[in-house]
Amino acid sequence: MHTDIKSYFKDVEDIVSQCDRCGTCLTVCPLFGAKDMESSSARGKNNIARGLIQGVVRPSTKVLDIINFCLLCRTCVDNCPSKVKTDEAMIALRQYFADKNGSPGATYKALGALMKNRTLVKLSAGTLKILRRIGMNTVIPHGMAPREFTRKQYLASFAGPAALGSTAPLSPITLSDKSKVAYFKGCGMSMMFPDAVEGTIAILGTLTEPERIDNLCCGLPHLAHGLRTDFLEMAKQNIALFEKSDVIVSDCASCSGTLKHIAAYFADDPVWENRAAAFSQKIMGLSEYLVHVGYKAQHRVDAKLTFHEPCHLGRGQDIKSQPRQLLKATGNFIEMAGANTCCGGAGSFHMDYPDIATSILAKKRINIENSGAQIVVSECPTCLVQLNKAAAQSGGKFKVMHISQVI
Amino acid sequence: MIANEIKRKIRNIVGLENAIDSTEECFGYSYDSSFVPMSPENIPDLVVIPSTTEEISAVMAIANEYGIPVTPRGTASGRTGGSIPVRGGISLALHRMTRIIEFDEGNMMITVEAGVRTIDVYNFCAEKGLFFPPDPASWKYATIGGNVGENAGGMRAVKYGVTSNYVMGLEVVLADGSIINTGGKAIKNVTGYNLTQLFTGSEGTLCVITKVLLRLILMPKVRNTLQLMFPSLDNACKTIHKMLISGVVPAAAELMDKISIQAVARHRKLEIDSSIEACVILEIDGETTAELEKQAKQIQAIANEFRVLEVRIATSQQEVDDIWAIRRGLSSAIGAMAPNRFGEDISVPRNAFPETVGLIRKIAEKYNLTIAVYGHAGDGNIHPSVLCDLSKLGEEQRVHDAVNEIFSAALSVGGTLSGEHGIGITKRPHITKALGEAGVNALKMVKQSFDPKGILNPNKIW
Repeated sequence: MHTDIKSYFKDVEDIVSQCDRCGTCLTVCPLFGAKDMESSSARGKNNIARGLIQGVVRPSTKVLDIINFCLLCRTCVDNCPSKVKTDEAMIALRQYFADKNGSPGATYKALGALMKNRTLVKLSAGTLKILRRIGMNTVIPHGMAPREFTRKQYLASFAGPAALGSTAPLSPITLSDKSKVAYFKGCGMSMMFPDAVEGTIAILGTLTEPERIDNLCCGLPHLAHGLRTDFLEMAKQNIALFEKSDVIVSDCASCSGTLKHIAAYFADDPVWENRAAAFSQKIMGLSEYLVHVGYKAQHRVDAKLTFHEPCHLGRGQDIKSQPRQLLKATGNFIEMAGANTCCGGAGSFHMDYPDIATSILAKKRINIENSGAQIVVSECPTCLVQLNKAAAQSGGKFKVMHISQVI
Repeated sequence: MIANEIKRKIRNIVGLENAIDSTEECFGYSYDSSFVPMSPENIPDLVVIPSTTEEISAVMAIANEYGIPVTPRGTASGRTGGSIPVRGGISLALHRMTRIIEFDEGNMMITVEAGVRTIDVYNFCAEKGLFFPPDPASWKYATIGGNVGENAGGMRAVKYGVTSNYVMGLEVVLADGSIINTGGKAIKNVTGYNLTQLFTGSEGTLCVITKVLLRLILMPKVRNTLQLMFPSLDNACKTIHKMLISGVVPAAAELMDKISIQAVARHRKLEIDSSIEACVILEIDGETTAELEKQAKQIQAIANEFRVLEVRIATSQQEVDDIWAIRRGLSSAIGAMAPNRFGEDISVPRNAFPETVGLIRKIAEKYNLTIAVYGHAGDGNIHPSVLCDLSKLGEEQRVHDAVNEIFSAALSVGGTLSGEHGIGITKRPHITKALGEAGVNALKMVKQSFDPKGILNPNKIW
């Protein structure tokens, strides 16, 4: 992966020239499903990229709009006969536009600055003020998990009598003293779902003594919106911060997915190449880690649970069976239709294109309702924001929880 | 350029949001799945997305009045540039016309709108025990309107024929906006010219197909898959021909040459013996498993006569999927071998298959190019894939010359320019060679009488 602006087009061209323009992606792209214009689809985006490179299309704000109108959900990549990495091409093109225009635009710049700042991320009051300033307050507070809906509340509501006698024993796994497990705290998780963060820490605490490192943002919001320099800068700091840890666990699918990919961005940097590779190898998603070490759910409840598979978890890291395995061990797990379809959240996509995100979410809501599940579980804060909106729209037919609040 | 006043009239018909003129959005309607290079000239002035036949009729009447080119489009999965609006004007995108109008179980027929995907037609009928056989490689994303417009084929053609064999009638909008219905549910029908079959395969140049009446057959109860490996391509072809003559008709008979097989092997990290020159994948179907076993035995005996090296008869669904994955992964496996690839489509008499492949080999040698050959051996439809790197100096010309010679080779053995992709833009230069000047003139006369102003999909076929 190149970091020099002149080579963005080469990176993009290498990807999009593999598109055979067959149209398979049109049948699976959630955006094409919501807005059936060619430009919505992966084929449309790959070919506008091709048109840009060949000079058939001129760079313009309308072209940038098309490039930005992508969930980066990788559903197309998964289904494409040639496995064209549309998401990577779009990220590179966004960077091209940001560099060309000198900035990715006021909102993304403000968001980037916010997430680069550890103190702001920590102080939710400060966060909300900034969110309000950049006009995102209407979306985020609405999506927050209700305070009263904690792990304790959940157990009280769903752990019926049948569950009382069968409390699972503590996990038999004891890690050696040498294995140092660190927790990577994601911005979305700490800003919006502090209770879930506590849940994760508690679960990790049953297995080991997790190191709590004051890390920086994983950098995905920056990478996705043309702030590559910020992304690389934060990546270096994070690499240094976690150098002594053996395993780094994140309960946010986007964070773990991004951190696993950091190595690729330093592949031709002689100073950082090896350190980045070592860092990426240590990253594990929460459910990936828990299944790996043989974590046993600490209780069994009567609740009907279903799982919404985040794009960055399933397609992004091939972590598909692990969360389901954990849920099966703790409740009545039901697989819903379209569990791995994007919920429309996609980072800040739901703020940029609320109407489209809402129509994508409506399909998700129907699938959740049809599954009959009382709780839909996920492992990504953006998904949780979206799913909470769906829960509100369904009139309380189901509740939304992070996996760490359930198992 | 379309005047604002005309755009306003069209928007009054289809709605403001369904007649789009932003260059960036229209750009998405300037290409298809062919290797036609991108060009600003192919960007339509207006993308119109209708929802009903009446809307199309009204739009056509306006286009005809003002002489605006109209290029119908399904999902642009075509391989010859058929849906590319080379003269600008209107790109008429029919993908929202997705209603299944009628399922007539008694007559075993179905009426669908043009924008229904072919696989959806298949699935809808399959659920009711009926079978719509045409299965072009694009059937998961192509529309039935597009498949009828191109008279698409597919792998099942050897036993079940191509799209036109199932089209009983059409509802179409003519260039002037009038709506007509052709054919019907009567099996015997000699009332007037057979416009149904004329419009099928007319590549959007004579009318806009809006509804399709298709005949269905009973779904075979059981299916199985066989994979045969041969020491020579000739022997593989001879096996298939002997099967057909002996009355063992497979539902599909796909043949791959050595280059294709090795491409798949590399792509899927499989080990395939280098002595294998040809691989045949057969699908057989019937009423009972006993019948299938009998067919498989017959095939094995015939293949043995032609020194088959390996016969694999699938014993589980997993094995069926594994075998077909080889064929389905072929196109991308070959595509991954070189920066550029020109996938062609020629069709020859069945028994000329080995001879044609031999001619293609010579062409590859002459121009120092790699040409992978695979195809539907049962019906003589060959897909040579010319692999190249257009960034190399002089490569483009050599590819061009090689493709020309491939067409000449097809014609020299009594074959034709296209089996299932149509002529579109990419094969236009060769049409006179195939049909003769008088033949092309006859096509032009047909075109002239249906579309006197020449607005429907102009600059195609010839």
